[in-house]
Amino acid sequence: MDWQLLGLTFVTVFLAEIGDKSQLATIALSGSSQSPRAVFFGTVFALILASFIGVIIGESVTHFLPPKLLKAIAAIGFAILALGLLWDNED
Amino acid sequence: MTLTDPFLKTNSQTREDAPLKENQSPTQKAMEPVSKQFYRSFRATFTATFATIFLAEMGDKTQLATLLMSAESGQPWIVFCGAALALIATSLIGVLLGWWLAKRVSPKAMDMAAATILLIVSILLLGDVVQM
Repeated sequence: MDWQLLGLTFVTVFLAEIGDKSQLATIALSGSSQSPRAVFFGTVFALILASFIGVIIGESVTHFLPPKLLKAIAAIGFAILALGLLWDNED
Repeated sequence: MTLTDPFLKTNSQTREDAPLKENQSPTQKAMEPVSKQFYRSFRATFTATFATIFLAEMGDKTQLATLLMSAESGQPWIVFCGAALALIATSLIGVLLGWWLAKRVSPKAMDMAAATILLIVSILLLGDVVQM
């Protein structure tokens, strides 16, 4: 077991992700949600799956899943969640 | 985030999940059992969170970093474990921060703040799309 590599990866990814978009979204979603646990599991599975795909498939992933399109869909998804929260508040 | 799921009807009497009562509106409370509400909202929340975060992270810098490190080191599983642990840690920090804030701020203010943050995230993602 290469502990140095494990530590290096942990620190790199941790620093890259702290305060990043996903974490902001996680804070927002868990704060406004009835079940923060669901937000936690949803986030963890999504992030782990994304890095798993990165490790397993490597660069070829960008050929059949263009990040530009996926990010655009995600942007729309977050906007819908935001509007949903604002809409609920109107009641 | 409400989702009508016909498959859950049979379960509603037997489940005894600990409900998170603080943020529920009075109308919701009156309409259906709390356990059912909780479960439904768990699924809806999980799905929405998973889908949006997953799509946002595909091709993002963290994924590229893990990709490069696993290719360089030739030990993809160790890189994956390190990345997974880091992602669990940052998610946990994010969720706990949101939960902590929700206990101190009124649900209405929290929803407004959350909506604003989500719109900012949405704009940041669109910024990424334009830059790519």
